[in-house]
Amino acid sequence: MEPLILLEELTKNYDGKVLALDRVSLQVYPGEWVAVMGASGSGKSTLLNMIAALDRPTSGSVWVNGEDVLSLSEEERARFRREKVGLIFQHFYLIPYLTALENVMLAQYFHSMADREEAAQAVHEVGLEQRMSHYPSELSGGEQQRVCIARALINQPKILLADEPTGNLDAENEEIVIAIFRRLHRAGLTLLFVTHDPQIGTQADRIVELEHGRILPTFPAKALRSI
Amino acid sequence: MLGCLLAKSLWRGKARTVLVVLSVATASTLVSAFLNIAFTVSEEMAKELRSFGANILLVPKSEPLEIAIGGLRFVSPEESAYLEEGELPRLRTIFWRHNIVAFAPFLSQMVEVEGEQALLVGTWFDREIPIPEGKRFFAFANGSRREVAPDKGTFHTGLKNLSRWWQVEGQWPREDEDGVLIGNELARRLKVGINDRIRVAVEGKSVFLSVRGIARTGGDEEKQIFVHLKLAQELFKLPGKMERVQVSALVTPDNALAARASRIGPANLPPEEYETWYCTPYLGSVIYQIEEAIPNTKGKAIRQVSEAEGAFLGKMRLTFILVVAVAVLVALLAVMATMVTALFERRQEIGLMKALGADAKQLGLLFLLEAGLTGMGGGIVGYFGGLALAQLLSVRTFSLGGLGFSLSLQAAILPITLLAAVSVALLGSFFPAKEAMRLEPVKTLRGN
Ligand SMILES: Nc1ncnc2c1ncn2[C@@H]1O[C@H](COP(=O)(O)OP(=O)(O)OP(=O)(O)O)[C@@H](O)[C@H]1O
Ligand SMILES: [Mg+2]
Repeated sequence: MEPLILLEELTKNYDGKVLALDRVSLQVYPGEWVAVMGASGSGKSTLLNMIAALDRPTSGSVWVNGEDVLSLSEEERARFRREKVGLIFQHFYLIPYLTALENVMLAQYFHSMADREEAAQAVHEVGLEQRMSHYPSELSGGEQQRVCIARALINQPKILLADEPTGNLDAENEEIVIAIFRRLHRAGLTLLFVTHDPQIGTQADRIVELEHGRILPTFPAKALRSI
Repeated sequence: MLGCLLAKSLWRGKARTVLVVLSVATASTLVSAFLNIAFTVSEEMAKELRSFGANILLVPKSEPLEIAIGGLRFVSPEESAYLEEGELPRLRTIFWRHNIVAFAPFLSQMVEVEGEQALLVGTWFDREIPIPEGKRFFAFANGSRREVAPDKGTFHTGLKNLSRWWQVEGQWPREDEDGVLIGNELARRLKVGINDRIRVAVEGKSVFLSVRGIARTGGDEEKQIFVHLKLAQELFKLPGKMERVQVSALVTPDNALAARASRIGPANLPPEEYETWYCTPYLGSVIYQIEEAIPNTKGKAIRQVSEAEGAFLGKMRLTFILVVAVAVLVALLAVMATMVTALFERRQEIGLMKALGADAKQLGLLFLLEAGLTGMGGGIVGYFGGLALAQLLSVRTFSLGGLGFSLSLQAAILPITLLAAVSVALLGSFFPAKEAMRLEPVKTLRGN
């Protein structure tokens, strides 16, 4: 089977000083749920940004869904982001002057055309049908993050990339969000997310551990659980 | 979605939106005011300036017909050495009659006033004359005819309308009384004041007349006395006659065509050009038309006046253009400054949109539409502001009773003002927006 994400010898050197990623090679297969873990500053977000075509590596290559991401022009990278990946951030990042529903519709608008029905359905699926016309400032952190999930999924991406999606949530909301991830995983979506929390990491099929920009030998999460 | 996004982001940045609208409105107020003034008021201004004296002098055609024999001068005995007063209203029947602002006839002779020699001038002070009725046609050399609707009603003219800068103490004499307007210098010399009666003697005959007003003119008129024309005609035994007429006409500055017409004579112009020349209010064509309308008349241009006038208007316009240009530049900088801060504040939003897959075209459209709409708002405010400003200027500066705007001009000013406003907003936003779009999303989304 072709890997959906293929990283080869990926290196990112910030200003020639900070080696955020050091010859990272990684393969993620369709339907896999991968947790990226590691200490703060180990390069997790950097890795995610490379896959999302938000940043460019110093060397190495990034292939996603058969596309050589590094060869894409600025415009093609924008197209790649709206078609291939769904992004979720630790700090939610919603447009403050748009309602929950409109934030989801914005992603549709950039992709092709805003469709209120479809967006409402997506908001419904994350359990926020009562909160559609609320502004981000009127939503709890967990609710905001669920809006972000709805937004990330609205354009049917190949991969869901999440950078500490539960980092700012309490246990209850964390559980709600993880439950959504589990459901998406069961539905066959490829998930790659960054977390600090081993509890959450063990929910994934596989854990990739970063240390000073390098990948430690991998082992299946299930094996970890059985220890 | 785009509409919603624009409306909400403009509403969210209300303070900023208002600021940009105001900057643009300020500049477009001046643009609109300038256009209104350039189109409408400058005509009014020309009229206002025109009131400072005559630019055409009419004399009898036969005036130069003087024969000198053995040191004696014989003026042709024909009465054509004078003009007929009765033909004056015809001035208002020529093609460019609306450009005839005022005129006054003159008939003068030296007389004895209270024992002193002085020039007595008969004229019209403030005369309301009927305009001859009936349809008029203008036939052109190429055979085309143009019909001109007849004017109705009456027309105010006379020395009072021609010489508005004169300062008259007391009153202008009425047309129906034997009152006198006396020059300030003469009045002082004779020690006469308002309502004094003075004795005027002509060829041994004398009359007593009341002084109604004392005029300061800054010219030779201060040594003269003025009576209404009828009285002068009686005193000089020249009923119905006048020597010369001063006419104040609005004219277009001469161009190549006008110069050629005066060089080779209008009759020698090709028919097409003749029509153009005839239908343009050059000083030459207005004089030509007057000569056509009043037989036995020769018109002379007092050209300096209209040239000075043109130069003045040109300078006014230049000053105004400079003011407008500075205002537009300042507005541009203000919009730019506002936009730089606005886009800095919104950099996270921009980063997010890029992360969601918005490309340069989509973001550019968003920002430029935002700027364009704001500019449009400013333009609309400025358009009306400019109308008000032009109105104010026209009343205050040119002492006109408001503008008689012509609709066709108004229609042109709105789109020009809006175009200027939108351009200022777009140009002011272009570089900040371009800069903002170069932001790397990772940089703006990092940390919080
Ligand atoms: N734009 C940048 N310029 C310079 N150095 C950077 C930049 N972004 C990240 N770094 C550095 O690269 C290293 C990896 O950063 P990264 O954000 O990927 O870490 P992380 O694993 O996501 O950490 P955390 O768990 O705290 O989010 C860090 O040492 C960081 O300081
Ligand atoms: Mg991170």
